[in-house]
Amino acid sequence: MGVVPLQELDMGPIRILLVEDELFVRIDIAATLRHAGFQVIEAACADAAMEFIESGEPIDLVFTDIKTPGTLDGLALAERVRAKYPLMPVLICSGNPELEGAASRLGKFVPKPYDPTGVVRLITSSIR
Amino acid sequence: MEPATILVVERDILVRQPLAQYLRDCGYRVLEAVNAAEARGAVSTGRESIDVVLMDVKSVSSEGGFALASWLRSNHPTIKVLLGGTIAKVLQLAGDLCNDAPEGGLDYRSVLDHIRRLLAGRDQRSPDRRDN
Repeated sequence: MGVVPLQELDMGPIRILLVEDELFVRIDIAATLRHAGFQVIEAACADAAMEFIESGEPIDLVFTDIKTPGTLDGLALAERVRAKYPLMPVLICSGNPELEGAASRLGKFVPKPYDPTGVVRLITSSIR
Repeated sequence: MEPATILVVERDILVRQPLAQYLRDCGYRVLEAVNAAEARGAVSTGRESIDVVLMDVKSVSSEGGFALASWLRSNHPTIKVLLGGTIAKVLQLAGDLCNDAPEGGLDYRSVLDHIRRLLAGRDQRSPDRRDN
């Protein structure tokens, strides 16, 4: 199954809150998502992401790494997002497959390293 | 012709995101760094071709914007460094860039107002936290 073009989703700009502390990983995945037509909000840690959420700025999906610096990790962020916005899709990624179970209780698990096409496809299917 | 690449260095997500999106809307390719270490990394690996670095002197990191600007000028003199002392000045610099951009002419003042509203909202939620 191919990626569904965003135009076919008949929605406004879709805003993805991306949480990734590794600079070049963040740059690459953000570029991939922007190229696919998404608007991307970049956060280098879950604390900053939570601050953005609390600001009331619109977000359609949260895409977070589990291991992030600061007081919150990606799982804690996902838990808070779930509590505040139960319907918001959350993608949780890690290079550690042992964390898949914990992640899957809060959202969809995405293994690292990222498969860019797979990530775009997963996001597209999550927001349909 | 490829659009110029601007590296925005700003630790506060409530400032960085609207600023970076504004520059993207103007037609630039924009990279985001949350502190001086990330900015140095983005520049020094040579992986990214960066034309302009834009930052608020007070909101880069504990190292400070002047130190980063000085390092950039010494080690990467071809990169244009734009340094503002306030959020308003940084947005004005972004507005000047936007006037020269492919999709130029977008007014920076509405972005500045938006950022000010976001920061005021945060101050109301957390009165003891004035700076990120």
